[in-house]
Amino acid sequence: MQTGTIKIKIKLQPGWICMLVTTGCFLLALLWFSHARAGTDTASFSTWFVDMSQYADAAHASLKCEECHGSMTDREPAMGIGLRKNHPDSKSVDFLKTQTKRNFDYQVCQKCHKIAYSRFVKGEHAKAAFKEKTIGKPSEVGFAPTCGDCHSAHYSKSHLTRVQTGKMMTQTCGACHLEQKQSFLANYHGKAAVNLEYDKAAFCSDCHGAHTMLSLKDKDVVLNACRRCHSDATPEFASIIIHDSTKNLDVKSDTKKSSLKWVHLMRALSLFFVIAVLVFFYMHTGLLMLRKLHEKLRRHK
Amino acid sequence: METRINSPQTFQRFHILHRILHMVIIFNFTFLAISGFLLHFSGFGWARFLIALMGGAGAAGWLHRFCAVFLYFGILVHVFWLIYYKMVLKQNFCGPDSILPGKKDVKDLFQNLRYVFNKGTPPLFDRFSYLQKLDYWGELLGMQSMGITGLILCFPEFFAGIIPGFFINIAGYFHFYEAVLAVMYIGVVHMSDTHLAPDVFPMEKAIFTGKIEKQRFMEDHPGEWKRQQMINDQKLL
Repeated sequence: MQTGTIKIKIKLQPGWICMLVTTGCFLLALLWFSHARAGTDTASFSTWFVDMSQYADAAHASLKCEECHGSMTDREPAMGIGLRKNHPDSKSVDFLKTQTKRNFDYQVCQKCHKIAYSRFVKGEHAKAAFKEKTIGKPSEVGFAPTCGDCHSAHYSKSHLTRVQTGKMMTQTCGACHLEQKQSFLANYHGKAAVNLEYDKAAFCSDCHGAHTMLSLKDKDVVLNACRRCHSDATPEFASIIIHDSTKNLDVKSDTKKSSLKWVHLMRALSLFFVIAVLVFFYMHTGLLMLRKLHEKLRRHK
Repeated sequence: METRINSPQTFQRFHILHRILHMVIIFNFTFLAISGFLLHFSGFGWARFLIALMGGAGAAGWLHRFCAVFLYFGILVHVFWLIYYKMVLKQNFCGPDSILPGKKDVKDLFQNLRYVFNKGTPPLFDRFSYLQKLDYWGELLGMQSMGITGLILCFPEFFAGIIPGFFINIAGYFHFYEAVLAVMYIGVVHMSDTHLAPDVFPMEKAIFTGKIEKQRFMEDHPGEWKRQQMINDQKLL
């Protein structure tokens, strides 16, 4: 009698092969997709040397050099705006080491981009630039940004989608505001907008304004920003903290400080609760399983 | 006829409604967990791929809300059944067959811990063991708090008029951590207690077929079995 033997027959049927192939394709697609999507576009900037093949694809490709830079011989300011600077001394080697962005007079931009320029002048970045000028040295974060620090005049492309611009924006803003970028990406807005490329979710400029760069400390200003998407927002809605996971958030108002404290306390408490419950029941289940297995094996002897 | 003789004697354990509701919970819980955690882990490529399979962030969000409403509908059906059970069928919620937690459950827990360390016999459970009761109440109450925090996150404009704004931040963290707890509890504790136990491995079918075998009934729910036998004996007399 063959009582103790177990027969296992595995037949490679067409159905099984089909399933294996499908699973393989699925996994491969997954790998390819994650690889392809891992890279995010970052804006590339020119140095003193401009790559003309990139320039030819850019938004400003139709402009001649002179229209922004003025001619070599002409001593007049370019387009009649700003200060005409002499061409750097080409015999000196050092001028190639100087920063292009700090040399160019970006007042030229307002000739075409009037609205953006007027908004920028009123904004926080312009205020920081003014502060920098009065103190005479840049702040810890770096130079106060002008047009060229965020936009590449030579390489920026036009007709980008909202999501393409937004993803690039997150990189550009995040270069200086790193912690804000991280807390934005930890928030629902950032996850939906940047990670999932959902064009209805908010990117940086949707709340902070494209060129005004509001720091959103005043309640009414915040409420206006919220109402761009959440049209029914009440004043209390504005006290939802978006960048709540920022480590060294510079908070001036006391109410926000205390509510942040509560948020972090509640987060820590819920984490502790989850860990405590799981540790107890995992140990309980694990030990019980071992005991039951032991009993079963002993019975079979 | 041969199969009929060989098949063991079974007893009805779960009503058809409860089996359907359990399937509703399985289906919705799975999709809620998948769509929710994909948003949280959307920084990874595979999560983005799966979201793209669902049809993008908007569709995944819709799926999450749909499953939440569907699941809550199931809970409402269950609550209506409880009212029907009490009002129309005139049944009692208390007693040894009840799913309400009692003193015996605490005793059973300690006896089970003693049994684990080989210091005693396993506890004699009634119709529901304390772990089954915990599964039930964890689901029923957990879904309430998940529902409340989920509603707060779904309609922040409305709730900001009632509660302070930073409560919405707190609701977000509660929603996430409770989801972690639910998935890691159901996925490990509930699964291994019901299906991984050596006597029932690989699968406990009672909640799907509604029937329990005599052997399992006697071993897993001796209290109820004993009472059933007593009722049967009285009937015979």
